[in-house]
Amino acid sequence: MSTVIRVGTEPAAFVGEAAFFDGDKAVPQNATLTLDEEARELVIALAQSEHRWPLNKIREVPDQAGRDVMMLRLDGDPVQRLFLPNRTLAPRLPHRTRRAPVSRPGRIAAWAVAAVGAVAVIVLLLVPRLANQLADHIPPGGEHALGEVTLTQIRSALDQTGLQPVPFCTAAEGMAALDQLERRLTAGLDLPGPLSVHVLDHDMVNAFALPGGYIVLFRGLIDAAETPEEVAAVFAHEIGHVISRDPTRHALRSAGSIGVLGLIFGDFAGGALVLFLAERLIDATYARDAEEAADRFAHETLLAAALPPSAIGSFFERLLKENGEPEGIVAHFLSHPQMGDRIAAARDATPDNAVFRPALTDPEWNALRKICRQSARDVPSEPPKSGVGWR
Amino acid sequence: MGARRRLLWLALKMDFLTILTLGIYRFWMKTRLRRWYWSAIRPGGHPLEYLGDPFEKLLGFLIAVVILAFYVGIVNLLLVFASFSLFQSNTAAYVASFIGVIPLWFYASYRARRYVLGRTRWRGIRLGVDPGAWGYAGRALVHWAVTLISLGLLWPRMTFMLEKYRAERSWYGTARIEQGGSWTMLYRAALPVLPVLAMLAIAALCFFTGNIGTAIGIAVLAGAAGIYAAVHYNVVSWKMLMDHKSAAGLGLRANPSPLRVFGIYIVGYITTIIVVAIPAALLTLPLLALQTSSTGGSMELPFSASAISALPEAVLIALTALCYFALFLLWGALRHAFVTMPLLRHYAETLTITGADALKGISQRARDEFSEAEGFAEALDLGAAI
Repeated sequence: MSTVIRVGTEPAAFVGEAAFFDGDKAVPQNATLTLDEEARELVIALAQSEHRWPLNKIREVPDQAGRDVMMLRLDGDPVQRLFLPNRTLAPRLPHRTRRAPVSRPGRIAAWAVAAVGAVAVIVLLLVPRLANQLADHIPPGGEHALGEVTLTQIRSALDQTGLQPVPFCTAAEGMAALDQLERRLTAGLDLPGPLSVHVLDHDMVNAFALPGGYIVLFRGLIDAAETPEEVAAVFAHEIGHVISRDPTRHALRSAGSIGVLGLIFGDFAGGALVLFLAERLIDATYARDAEEAADRFAHETLLAAALPPSAIGSFFERLLKENGEPEGIVAHFLSHPQMGDRIAAARDATPDNAVFRPALTDPEWNALRKICRQSARDVPSEPPKSGVGWR
Repeated sequence: MGARRRLLWLALKMDFLTILTLGIYRFWMKTRLRRWYWSAIRPGGHPLEYLGDPFEKLLGFLIAVVILAFYVGIVNLLLVFASFSLFQSNTAAYVASFIGVIPLWFYASYRARRYVLGRTRWRGIRLGVDPGAWGYAGRALVHWAVTLISLGLLWPRMTFMLEKYRAERSWYGTARIEQGGSWTMLYRAALPVLPVLAMLAIAALCFFTGNIGTAIGIAVLAGAAGIYAAVHYNVVSWKMLMDHKSAAGLGLRANPSPLRVFGIYIVGYITTIIVVAIPAALLTLPLLALQTSSTGGSMELPFSASAISALPEAVLIALTALCYFALFLLWGALRHAFVTMPLLRHYAETLTITGADALKGISQRARDEFSEAEGFAEALDLGAAI
């Protein structure tokens, strides 16, 4: 672009050539361009006619690949175009880069509201309601399969190496201790189906329930517990979720909502979003009444099994003091606004004069604490962990 | 080369804004990149002009969301339920959901084409496409069924018939485009498939006679040749179809080289992968180390831990997300600069318009007030090329 040097008060006279498209015929017309400084207009002289474009109404068509040329249009005229072979006119157009106003903003706003509304109604109202209905009608086999698929997703999502899912801990004596605990807690319970209890070889202090009777405890939780009663208390809480089918409702709900959210965010973040939601499944935050119901269930079940409900309160309180950083299920428990209430409720549910039997014998408790330590040796097909951070 | 740098910069800027706005800016990104590409194509010295409106795109997308959200939410939930209840797995749900989307996919692709052409001008004259998206979807389904039943033998027929349907509903100003030629001519474009089939047959023979190593080697070669054959078919069939198009005396002569297109793909994607891989390695390795060394360093903690106490983890997560998006951004921009642009340039350079005298007889057509734009295509994530 050449620099325009103005001498005196009058700008330099401008004469140029251009191709003019009248927007009616597919044929360019040779145009001679001059400036009418008086009227502040661009005079487009054609073979037979003349067009006058006010300088302040001329706009440049944006984002053009050619840097040495200029495509001009007249504000208010949808079709006429002026194609200039150079850019010498550019400094003379005061509003060259001004944008066209948004057409029909009201319509866009209305549809935006409708879209947000529709998604909100579907994700927050229809899908949960439908999921609640369907959760009561899914046959046991289907529910079990749903849990299995979800568990596989979670194990892959938890894995940071990207190579294999987080392994289960399967040391035989530890499993026997876990069975022992399960039998003690479920004795006399009317379960919808058998439980599948697993320990995941992962640091997180967490536990969760999945559809079809899956209960998953993390090694981190067992490590952090000081007594088997504390593990039993968490276990009982998760059984409460299984019985009320909270996980099934939750899994069906996310099956409906993941796709809708993916639809909105498009492909650029779709993958990350799905992964994120799969991870959210772990600390599925159920509704407050569902949590309280699971708590109440846990208290009753623990008492019936001659175990102290207060263990869960003291467990979480201690973890909070020790680490200062709530993690996993602890955070989930504590983040609840009524956390104090829930710890207090656990204490209140524990009668002063109650007589408790130990949850596990000392050898059993030791075996449970070592449930992951043997698994690497027992299952030689899995390479030993070398990654840092895997304790 | 200057053009490539400017495009790369433009695409990077747009990608960045898209990520910053959680995807909303992608409608502006598409519009601006298309304006750039269109203006870079100058048949007879005069550039094409793209007049798509990002607000129209946003509106179309919102409309599609309203309609599709119901399908995706409710129908998929029912499908998942039925699939687990009846088959104890979610495969059936995926398959059913996918099949249900196929007609919509064709519908959306026709509408997207209608919008893009309807918002394209050359020499001040609009292109246009008549409505007919459902008709197209129906025909596409039938042609695909026939092609599958014929084990692919009738693929050229499908290519031709669908292109004919689309082309003959397209206009340049007052001139309607006609698609000449016949579907059998496209078999010539498919010739490189024959050696691929022969190689596969030899590989199978080796496999069954016990030469597993040789079989794998030949199969790999056949795979590479198969990719070339696919590119060759696309390029040559496109050329033939273009050569047989006419509109009121105007004609087209296309002469793209399939080898050149294949080369652009290979070189373009290899360049893109290398350029993305270097920062990816530099960014990811220290992060991974950091992540695994921090105690209890697992991805999900920050989402559940309270915000105050989990600051370092939150920072870690933010960094990870930032890297992910940075790489995503880089990938998109580089693909524009090293694949899309060279491809478009090659196609444009080798295309000529014949019978230019006929342009005198062509005049303007009315604007297609089709303001839903390519909302469905956008929502279904198709047409990601430009």
